[in-house]
Amino acid sequence: MTGHTVTTPPRRLLPRPGGVRGEKVQRRLDWSFPPPPVARELLEVRPAAPVHGRPPLLCVHGAGMGAWAFERWLPAAAEAGWHAVAVSLRGHGGSEVPERFTTTTLRHYEHDVLQAITELPAPPVLVGHSLGAVVVQRVLERYRSAPAGVLLSPPPPDHGLALLGALARHDPVTLLRGALGLTTRPRPRTLVGPATPVEQAVALAERVGPEPAAAALQVTLPRRAPVIRTPVLVISGGADRIVPPATAARTARLLGTRAHLYRGLGHSLLLEVGWEDVLRHVLAWLEVQVGARPTP
Amino acid sequence: MASMATKDARRIVDRRERSLVLGAGSSGLTAAKNLRERGIDVDLVEREAHVGGNWNIEGSTSRVYESTRMISSKPFTQYPDFPMPDAAPDYLHHTHVRAYLERYAAHFGLDQLVELSTSVDRVRPLARGFDVELTGPDGVPHTRRYGRLVVANGHNWSPKWPSYPGQDTFSGELLHAAGYRSGDQLAGRRVVIVGAGNTGCDIAVEAAHRATATVHSTRRAYWYAPKYAFGRPADQVSDLIFALRLPTRLTQTLFQATARLVVGRHERYGLPRPDHRFLETHPIVNQQLLYHVGHGAITPKPDVARFEGDEVVFADGSRVGADLVVFATGYRIRFPFLPDGLIPGGARPRLLRNVLHPERTDLAVIGLIQPDSGQFALVHWQSVLLASFLDLDARDPAAARDYLRAAGRHLDDRSQAGIDLVDSTRHLVEVEHAAYARDLEADLAELARRLAAVAA
Repeated sequence: MTGHTVTTPPRRLLPRPGGVRGEKVQRRLDWSFPPPPVARELLEVRPAAPVHGRPPLLCVHGAGMGAWAFERWLPAAAEAGWHAVAVSLRGHGGSEVPERFTTTTLRHYEHDVLQAITELPAPPVLVGHSLGAVVVQRVLERYRSAPAGVLLSPPPPDHGLALLGALARHDPVTLLRGALGLTTRPRPRTLVGPATPVEQAVALAERVGPEPAAAALQVTLPRRAPVIRTPVLVISGGADRIVPPATAARTARLLGTRAHLYRGLGHSLLLEVGWEDVLRHVLAWLEVQVGARPTP
Repeated sequence: MASMATKDARRIVDRRERSLVLGAGSSGLTAAKNLRERGIDVDLVEREAHVGGNWNIEGSTSRVYESTRMISSKPFTQYPDFPMPDAAPDYLHHTHVRAYLERYAAHFGLDQLVELSTSVDRVRPLARGFDVELTGPDGVPHTRRYGRLVVANGHNWSPKWPSYPGQDTFSGELLHAAGYRSGDQLAGRRVVIVGAGNTGCDIAVEAAHRATATVHSTRRAYWYAPKYAFGRPADQVSDLIFALRLPTRLTQTLFQATARLVVGRHERYGLPRPDHRFLETHPIVNQQLLYHVGHGAITPKPDVARFEGDEVVFADGSRVGADLVVFATGYRIRFPFLPDGLIPGGARPRLLRNVLHPERTDLAVIGLIQPDSGQFALVHWQSVLLASFLDLDARDPAAARDYLRAAGRHLDDRSQAGIDLVDSTRHLVEVEHAAYARDLEADLAELARRLAAVAA
């Protein structure tokens, strides 16, 4: 029901500013100020009939959400034979709220995802939604063993200034409150596309919790783009009011691939009406990408 | 004779398309993992029945003892893409390090790859590649021909024994730290520990609890760094000083000032004043030694001069009776299965970044560093460096040779950050971790550029 369009492929892999870059060996911030340990929530659904050689899926949610954002995906993916896991980042969902939550930044989330990875039996496919897709981009640079990455409604690797513009247009109150450092909940309509009934949008908005301003700002402001060599799939909503379609397309272009835009879907494409189409698309792609070959 | 040789030759298993990683300890595991990740086919052999190398305490060349704990904290020690668990403390006990290595092996499927109880007896270099004589779990020797060899046999297993006058006629027991397993060996005895490496200090502290008398003999006066400073793992604090990238003298002064602040003056404990500047010897990280010296449980002494009957005589002329002398005098770098001279440099291997052979593209050593910090993380990047280099070699052998030639210019740059190390066999492969990480990052960027040029 939600048809999708594909953006034009990149003409070529654009050399990033500063030429070809190698690996990030020095991590002084992480060495001197390692992220404090927290207890993390992992939601996990195992397939009744596991398919040999298939890597697990590790899903990372977006701002203000939790592992629950994948509550529809996990059982459906397991039904299709995938070992599906979702992690709640610190201060989100059922994970522990760290002592100094307000100063939490993306590297803390990166740490949470890496810790979750080490609990899996094999290198997982990393799936990230929105802010989670930014975290996954960082993890893909550090953890090169992931067989593939799936980026849903993803802000670009270098900056997400366009997100500020989109929010100013569709939900200025949220933007203003966020800029003032006040806890805020997005307008229900900001979260979903036109196909989703308003009651569902309200219920979803009720569940969204606060996001530390530092992490949210980091997503939007210019930063060092990670060097990614893993094959990635980019899917976004054509009616997304937080990460506009053109911005998702830019993400794809910078990562050397194309974006698949689902016309009727908004930002919460994991949960809103039409989510099955997206999951089906992802699993079909993964089947080709990693399903057949044994995990490295 | 000739017929036997032909028979042998026929039995050589052809593995020329593959690389052999020799040893499945902390270095061999990450080498195999990182090479495989770049599409390089590897075999991985381990002499013992389990992976873990030095950290597999059951292994015949494991040198850990019951009280061994890490001396660098988690962020510096862990593999950067496989962090140590949040639930683990700042400094892991050796049993937890072993469990960590086993989980690493399982996660990356190395437990399926490794051939256990398989030893390499001898390596015969060919013009390209190597004939490797192995003995498998069935005890039957056989030979395989490999395209490449990655040596990860460790360098802390072959004991280095000192020799003092009268040592042979000493009536007590002489033990090298290599044979030290637990404090039970010290209980109720008069013990002299020789050497102030991290092991020597650990044993001295253990002896302070268990022995009837403990004497700690050191060749020179050292700086003892604390494990915690300002309530945080000291290496996490000290790395902030490294991060400033100040002139070496100033860095040393800052470190010395911090040590004075956190530990105090060594003279106050009755120890001699260090005869060298901070960082000029491999750091000794022990917070308990000075505590026990201050409580009289450990008596510091200078270097041993000679042995007489059941007595140890020190350089200052003082003497003590001893039932047991423990030599914590370190280990020698050895590759007993390789022909002499294959690795250039003799006692002090001369390799690019301690990894790449300056001439052969089919031979590399992984893990041959003694950093002033954690080992595994740096060895991970060594392996990534090797994998990138082999990737380049597979795409364009001429480009790989060109890289070796270009990199050969820094063959004697040992990533020591301008620190003038005290001349000692202990510092043969010493690197300053921050400088080494910076150098590896630059090397990896250079290889990435060359790979991109080859691909274009």
